Amino acid sequence: MTAKLNVLRYILGAAMLGLWRNRTMTLGAIVTTAVMLVTLAAFLAINDTLNEMVTALGRKSNLIAYVRDDARPSRVTEIMRELEQRRGVGEVVFVTKEDALRTFQERFFDQRDVIDILQANPLPASVELRMDDPAVLPGLADELRAMTEVFESVAVPLDVVERLISISNVSRAAGTAMIIALTGVALFVIANTIRIAVYARRQEIEIMKLVGATDWFVRGPFLIEGAFIGLVGATLAAIALVVLYLQAAPTVTRIISFLPIATDVSFVRNLAVFIVLVGLVVGSIGSYVSVRRYLAV
Amino acid sequence: MIVVQGVTKRYDGEPALADVSIAIARGEFAFLIGTNGAGKTTLLRILLREEAFDSGVVLVNGVDVSRIRGAALTKFRRRIGVVFQDTRLLPNATVRENVGLPLQVRGRANREIDLAVDDVLERVALADKSERFPRQLSGGEQRKVALARAVISKPDVLLCDEPTDSINPTHAREIMGLLLEINSDGVTTLVATHDSEIVNNLRRRVIRMDAGAILADEPVGVFNSG
Repeated sequence: MTAKLNVLRYILGAAMLGLWRNRTMTLGAIVTTAVMLVTLAAFLAINDTLNEMVTALGRKSNLIAYVRDDARPSRVTEIMRELEQRRGVGEVVFVTKEDALRTFQERFFDQRDVIDILQANPLPASVELRMDDPAVLPGLADELRAMTEVFESVAVPLDVVERLISISNVSRAAGTAMIIALTGVALFVIANTIRIAVYARRQEIEIMKLVGATDWFVRGPFLIEGAFIGLVGATLAAIALVVLYLQAAPTVTRIISFLPIATDVSFVRNLAVFIVLVGLVVGSIGSYVSVRRYLAV
Repeated sequence: MIVVQGVTKRYDGEPALADVSIAIARGEFAFLIGTNGAGKTTLLRILLREEAFDSGVVLVNGVDVSRIRGAALTKFRRRIGVVFQDTRLLPNATVRENVGLPLQVRGRANREIDLAVDDVLERVALADKSERFPRQLSGGEQRKVALARAVISKPDVLLCDEPTDSINPTHAREIMGLLLEINSDGVTTLVATHDSEIVNNLRRRVIRMDAGAILADEPVGVFNSG
């Protein structure tokens, strides 16, 4: 037990000493890690903004189902409740005949002739759906059209919807592909930087093995050093990200007002935590894998 | 005790060791001599299980070297002290840290390690250079540090590969004196060298190698005989 504690103490001390004595290499690895992770984080933020933009456009596409005058109100309410539970449906609003007329009158206030002609209210009540995901619109429209006892017609801007769906699909697929590629590149560069740092000290590993060190005795300091490099690099990246994002986001939103940039702290905080975790894990795993190849002595 | 029987080793088809057989008793001192490429270093590497071999049997301290793996290999190496031809000191560690390494890997307490390091550095006359780095030492001093690291854990077997190579005669004599002193404590000592002066002066057992084979094994040999 005492021997194990002594070894643990040695490993911790050796890791700190290793970082300091190889400080040029350490600094290089930290900077590389930070740069790669800032790039990755920036892309994640851009990708999130693009996805938000597509989703926001989707929310603007509505479906309007015009209710028959003789439809049972309880049936309409039942359908509305059911619609609210559907995936992709954001908001379900009932527009009464009176509301429809009022809107009509407001819109055509300068055309008194038209308004005067309307003795009775010819406009139907309607159920309006605001969508989270426009992709479900066509199917939903068909379903509602089939309910002929409730709805007299269903209006849906299909050309707009189709265009939105294709933009959304392309944007998500391209974003996912870019994130995978960029994550791969970031992990490769970080792991390679650590590998080079370990390679420079491969003789050290061999010597320790030849004087009777166990694999964990050799691996321990390198593992801590790798985790430290990953953690510090990622923390620097996270700090840069938070500062840049909180500075830039309000300015960009002011200039390009339609861009739905997430300006809340929770988004950037989650991104920062994610980046730090990536750094820590990649640093540790990078070291573990790099050292392993020199342990077979 | 070291037993090597019918050992063969090839590098890319070229024989490095050809049917080598030797036996060195517990506490014995022997020189392994021969020109560069004779197979001395290969044999020492095999004894430490740093290198695998193609056929034959190698026993060190009664352990069949070809069969040890994992934790057993770690335990095996802890009973052997080695002075490598290129010293293999940790460049970023001080003399004290280099010498204390074999005790660190055993999980000894720092206090105990410090005392042992002080003691062995005193023995190799480097007590005043314990906080220096290897690059701050002369070639001879570096070899002494390597020797101190090899013996600090009081091994049963000491393997030395050209311990006096490229150092001045004074340092060479000092190192050989230390090796004899260590051997007198009962440590089986095998020294690979092509330093004729040392071999001729000490008049110890000489195992002569050439082209991977044992040419002669003389109980009290000189460098140029045979």
